[in-house]
Amino acid sequence: MIKSIKFKISLLLCIGFMVMSCTEAIDFDQADDIILTPALEASLVYFDEPASRFVDNGSTILSIQDFISVAFFNDEFVVDNVEKAEFVFETQNTINRTFELQVDFLDQAGNLQHSLTVREDAAPDNTDTVTTYTEVFEGNSLSALKRTVTIVFTMRLLPGAPLDEDTVGRIQYKSYAAFYINLNK
Amino acid sequence: MRKLFLVFTLQLCLFSFSQNKQLLYGFSEIPQSLMQNPGGKVKNDWYVGIPLLSHFHVNVGISGSTVYDVFADNDVDFNVKLRNAVNSMEPTDFYGFNQQLEIFSGGFAFGSSFNKNEYISFGMYQELDFLLYFPKDFAVLALEGNQSNINRFFDASDLSVVADVVSVLHIGYNKKVDDKFTFGVRGKIYSSIANVSSTKNKGSFVTVPGENNVYNHIFDLDLALQTSGIASLIDDENSDVSNDVDVLKKRVLFGGNLGLGVDFGFTYQLTDQWSFDASLLDVGFISHTKDVENYAINGQYTYNGVNPLFSPADDGQTADDYWSEIEEDFEDIFTVDTTATKYTKWRPVKFNASLNYAFGKKQSQYCNCAVDDSDYLNAVGLQLYGISRPKRPQMALTAYYYRHVFNGLRLKAAYTIDSYSFNNLGLGMSAHIWGANFYVMADNLLQYKNVYDAQSVSLQLGFNYIFNKK
Repeated sequence: MIKSIKFKISLLLCIGFMVMSCTEAIDFDQADDIILTPALEASLVYFDEPASRFVDNGSTILSIQDFISVAFFNDEFVVDNVEKAEFVFETQNTINRTFELQVDFLDQAGNLQHSLTVREDAAPDNTDTVTTYTEVFEGNSLSALKRTVTIVFTMRLLPGAPLDEDTVGRIQYKSYAAFYINLNK
Repeated sequence: MRKLFLVFTLQLCLFSFSQNKQLLYGFSEIPQSLMQNPGGKVKNDWYVGIPLLSHFHVNVGISGSTVYDVFADNDVDFNVKLRNAVNSMEPTDFYGFNQQLEIFSGGFAFGSSFNKNEYISFGMYQELDFLLYFPKDFAVLALEGNQSNINRFFDASDLSVVADVVSVLHIGYNKKVDDKFTFGVRGKIYSSIANVSSTKNKGSFVTVPGENNVYNHIFDLDLALQTSGIASLIDDENSDVSNDVDVLKKRVLFGGNLGLGVDFGFTYQLTDQWSFDASLLDVGFISHTKDVENYAINGQYTYNGVNPLFSPADDGQTADDYWSEIEEDFEDIFTVDTTATKYTKWRPVKFNASLNYAFGKKQSQYCNCAVDDSDYLNAVGLQLYGISRPKRPQMALTAYYYRHVFNGLRLKAAYTIDSYSFNNLGLGMSAHIWGANFYVMADNLLQYKNVYDAQSVSLQLGFNYIFNKK
């Protein structure tokens, strides 16, 4: 008899201990507030050429143009989640001529959506420091970027002293894009 | 979502115990202790587990930040809590879940009628095991991107996950050779119901300042995920769940990918009061040959942008051709290769050992002396547990106190140090009324004051019918 009471008490104690688990205030709805805002940077276009590269049969080449087709900016993920983009150019020119890089953004139909020009002033004493140019894509310009499927690059030499094989200096462009992504629901 | 968590939490409250069954190990009044050491002491003549109720086990474990750290209802912004949690955790932190359900089990002693010193036990159980290491570098990349992490190597090996559902049919033999030495061995046939494994990922992604352009982005990836028993369930044309259930039933009954394993164990009685025992469990493998689908991402590539006006190829290559090549190179790396190559997986091997000291015999009612033939009523001891896991073994050290309260009730309290915590207090009891046996054990009792802040909770319980010796 005593045994059975002892047993029942022990059993109750055991069960009680296990059931007495508690919790403190928890709010799982906070998960709805999650904001994921990674910022990605990726190299874009570059070149680094001596002055002589702009000489062809003794005369100065005044412009070079080419284009690339890109599917990236139309990608569904980019269209839905990129809320701001920046194209950052780092340029250096030690040639005594002013250069301009024009970048045109065209949509599927070949219509111009956006254009930017990065200008590098002539260097009369053949020295230069790195200049940074930033193009910010927000609002309308961001929408234009997201419609872009072709990018046309045009390099121009603005008027100045003619170049020849012995002209000193280099022209250097480096660039990267920063994409600010917002994945909040 | 909230309901789901409630149900989950309720389960945590009700059911709790780790793959480390430190309370069951050595608890020889419970027949299922033979599953932890086939060479353990046997204290019954025969037993039969109540089908589907003889052994149920669940363990949930989180090392690192807890649910409470991230979801506490306080003034701190959720995103701050989330980022703090991610920053404070290591790639060796993990989320673990283990569940076992015994379908049937039984055992009987045999040998000469006056000295039945041999014992056969058998049964079948289902086990689910899930282990995900915290993929820290992937989480940081998703949270921050590479902008603020220039020069940081994002390590692909941070991704490591295993998920496994098996049914196991087993038969064990135990022999008490003499008063000092008992040994046992158990053979197992595994039938894998489903398996997912991605544990040997290598490589990295890093953004470093470049020569030609601002950055070089260096991809060096070797990622692989192996699955068996999954593709046929996902790919089948029908959306009828009952068909899938039929498939799963067949796999439980050895229609799945098969494997073999063995458990070993022994008990050595050093003196009348001191004993030492050890076991090695699940030394075995499963060969995944049926319904295999593997995925791999593999390749190296360095991207530094495009030179649209002065092609380095210098052979009249247009900027667009140049760009197309880059796009193809990216596709080559990130295209997932699917194969059906067979693979073999070792089971996670578990190791147990303990040193025990028994003391305090029952006092006689008639004199101020101990009853001679009775067992000791108390025992204390130290137990060591280890399990092989993909990144590194997990270990636990337990100190316990066992008490034979009276014939109907035995208790065991244990204090455990493991990967989860340094204050794991557990309690187990085994009740015996006539032939019926009910046992229940739970650990991490201290954490029950706020389950959300618990790093590990687990429980085992079961019902048996036992016919005892004497």
